Amino acid sequence: MQILLDTLSVLFSFSGMLSIVAGVAIGIVVGALPGLGPSIGISLLIPFTYAMTPENSMLLLISLYMAAEYGGSVSAILLSTPGTAAAAATTIDGFALTQQGKANKALAVSLSASTVGGIVGGIALLFLAMPLSQLALQFGPASYFAVGLFGLTSVAALSGGSIVKGLIGAAFGLLLAFVGIDPISGMPRFTFGQIALFEGVPMLTVLIGLFAVSEGFLLAESAGKKSRQSVAKGAVRAVYLTFKEWKELIGTMVSGSIIGTFLGILPGIGGNIACWVARDFTVRRNPGLEFGKGEPRGIAAPEASNNATVGGAMVPLLSLGVPGSPTTAVIVGALVLHGLRPGPQLFTEQPVLVYTILLGLLLACLVMFVIASLSLPWMARVVNLPDSVLAAGILVFAILGAYSLRNLAFDVWLTIGFGALGYLMKKLSFPVPPVVLALVLGYLVETNFRTALVTSRGSYSIFFTDPVSVIFLALSVASIVYPIWRAWRSKNASAA
Amino acid sequence: MTFNLNRRAVLAGLGAAPLILQVKGAFAASGFPDKTVNLVVWAGAGGALDTYGRQLAELLNKEAGWSVAVQNRPGGSGAVGVSTVMTQPADGYNILVCTGTLTFGIAQGLIPFKLEDLRYVRAMQAEPSSVAVRADSEFKTLNDFVTYMRENPNKLRVGGHAPAGFHQYILYQLAQMGDFEASWIPHDASGKVPLSLLGDHMEVAVMTPSSGLAQVESGEIRLLGVSTEERSEFFPDVPTFKEQGFDIVDSVWRGIAVHGQTPDDIVAEIQKAIDKVEASQTWVDFQAREKQENINLAEDAYTDLVKRQLSQQTDFLKSIGLVQ
Repeated sequence: MQILLDTLSVLFSFSGMLSIVAGVAIGIVVGALPGLGPSIGISLLIPFTYAMTPENSMLLLISLYMAAEYGGSVSAILLSTPGTAAAAATTIDGFALTQQGKANKALAVSLSASTVGGIVGGIALLFLAMPLSQLALQFGPASYFAVGLFGLTSVAALSGGSIVKGLIGAAFGLLLAFVGIDPISGMPRFTFGQIALFEGVPMLTVLIGLFAVSEGFLLAESAGKKSRQSVAKGAVRAVYLTFKEWKELIGTMVSGSIIGTFLGILPGIGGNIACWVARDFTVRRNPGLEFGKGEPRGIAAPEASNNATVGGAMVPLLSLGVPGSPTTAVIVGALVLHGLRPGPQLFTEQPVLVYTILLGLLLACLVMFVIASLSLPWMARVVNLPDSVLAAGILVFAILGAYSLRNLAFDVWLTIGFGALGYLMKKLSFPVPPVVLALVLGYLVETNFRTALVTSRGSYSIFFTDPVSVIFLALSVASIVYPIWRAWRSKNASAA
Repeated sequence: MTFNLNRRAVLAGLGAAPLILQVKGAFAASGFPDKTVNLVVWAGAGGALDTYGRQLAELLNKEAGWSVAVQNRPGGSGAVGVSTVMTQPADGYNILVCTGTLTFGIAQGLIPFKLEDLRYVRAMQAEPSSVAVRADSEFKTLNDFVTYMRENPNKLRVGGHAPAGFHQYILYQLAQMGDFEASWIPHDASGKVPLSLLGDHMEVAVMTPSSGLAQVESGEIRLLGVSTEERSEFFPDVPTFKEQGFDIVDSVWRGIAVHGQTPDDIVAEIQKAIDKVEASQTWVDFQAREKQENINLAEDAYTDLVKRQLSQQTDFLKSIGLVQ
């Protein structure tokens, strides 16, 4: 009880609240700017925390983490520029709504879903950290492979009509994923001798190029045809959901949150993968709805999931002392600089710090909701700008983001190249998301497939003896076979 | 509770801001450095190397007044980090934070640079490798493990951090001396190694004890041996490889290097700053807490060390046929 009181007095002290508010505000901006994500944001803030108490510095960093997972969606919705890889899935339906003049609604859905996701993930962390961490330990290379493969089956749902075009896109994405150092032998491959490609094709250059730069080109083109036109007109109102909308979307938000929490606890899987899995789950659950053309569920699911991964990623950190995501890894660094080691012993040695993290995460979600809902109506005005201005703005942001990634001009050219490719794809109505999905999952699937085979000395039986692997392989098969079988049956029925 | 965010912290934060704002660091009195210095850590955020890099960054700021930014450039057994430094001007503003696997990468041709392409400024900490098992393992000594491996070729799953790195080298040496064969399960982050061990996805890990420190201290993970000369002061109950009959004494150093063409006067400025870091109580405490040996080798001794390691490791890799 004393611990709880001490924790609350830390949380609601002036400095505690200031840390949360600052973390959230910086987090939203860092998330919204392409090229900067939660892990870079936290790295940048670590020097600030040297002189703060461990409790306040953790509040600052976890608030930033939470808000950045949300912030990525703001630019995804308004500018078709996913600010973080975890917001990529949001771009599809989010920007579609913006083009229909409903940016407000898209932003409202994204904010509410992010808040729900953050809270669900936070509650799971608070009450289930120990059992969830034991679950995470069950995942070996075969299981990771099967989960990744299951994720890849959602290509169909992202293909927007033409499965063949979707598969071509996915194959191209996998091809990109193979570029870089071979994860098992350590030899470089498909790098054309370019050292800049040793760590692979940077995810963000593909994301920014395909989504944002291509959109910039399209806007510039339409601005050239007509003078002074804007993406959308529409009054900019406050961003709250109506009761009816809440009722409609809460199921999607909760399922997205649960998916995000579970994927978040798995080391190496974060919001960038969870967002696609959650969106795919919702698409399959609602076969009657038209996704890709501004369906709010297509925003609610990925946004709930990426914020839920925050609580999930803290699970292995607090219960095992091992970080589950690049961002939590940076948080470990910050703890170590305060002379602390994350791990189960922290619960007995520093209970107030642990409970400050656990409860602070929940409080950060609420603060995020308030700050974002106050500032969004102003941000949303960006869509009322003329197309020509917007096109230039998107391109400038995209190039800056690409450069800030590694300070390499190479990445800028790569991004522009992917932008041109994305422009052509959109002109030829090739879906862009399968490329991104395959690139995100390619490394996970390949590394774990090969690691599993090293583990089993080349025997494929490992994929069928590992229970988690069996479940996800079965799900993968079902998700391919079931739609085919359904189509075949309905064809037969109509023929008869 | 008071809000003790003092002026230095604000300045330090501003120092990190140039990545976004390109604000000039304002506190270096003269000459080097007059802007933010990048510490290029060639591993992902959160591992032992990253922790060292970040502690160094904090102390360079606190003790020497530098404005420092930490950049993580993981990938390619360090090739990405080396190339990051090599593609930047030789002005000392990009300092590589690297480990003993450097010589491996060069020997195998994975890091497409020569030893002479870098100047080895200071080796600051060293840590042994160890053979680790879960608490419920039947193996109590290194000999239990080696004997089992000899009698049951390739029966156990053994792995650790990175393909073709320091820990795999330790296993190779052990395999040579113990006359057994073992394949290697690489992990792309050192933090995943203890998880893989605890989750029963491997029976044996070859790892630095600190990568699973919480579990080593709680007894969930048992160390069968460590690769130090004498028993480690941090793990006095764990016998060395040597006292168990396997003469493998090797540690992975962590230190800093700069572009090979960096002028002497700039390297001297860096050395001065590092001296201040080494002298600080925070550094001494950090080393003890993180269970690191304080080796503190300056440029000459450090360069000798990497040269010696490169030739030993090249010979070794040739003898087992990994390098022509």
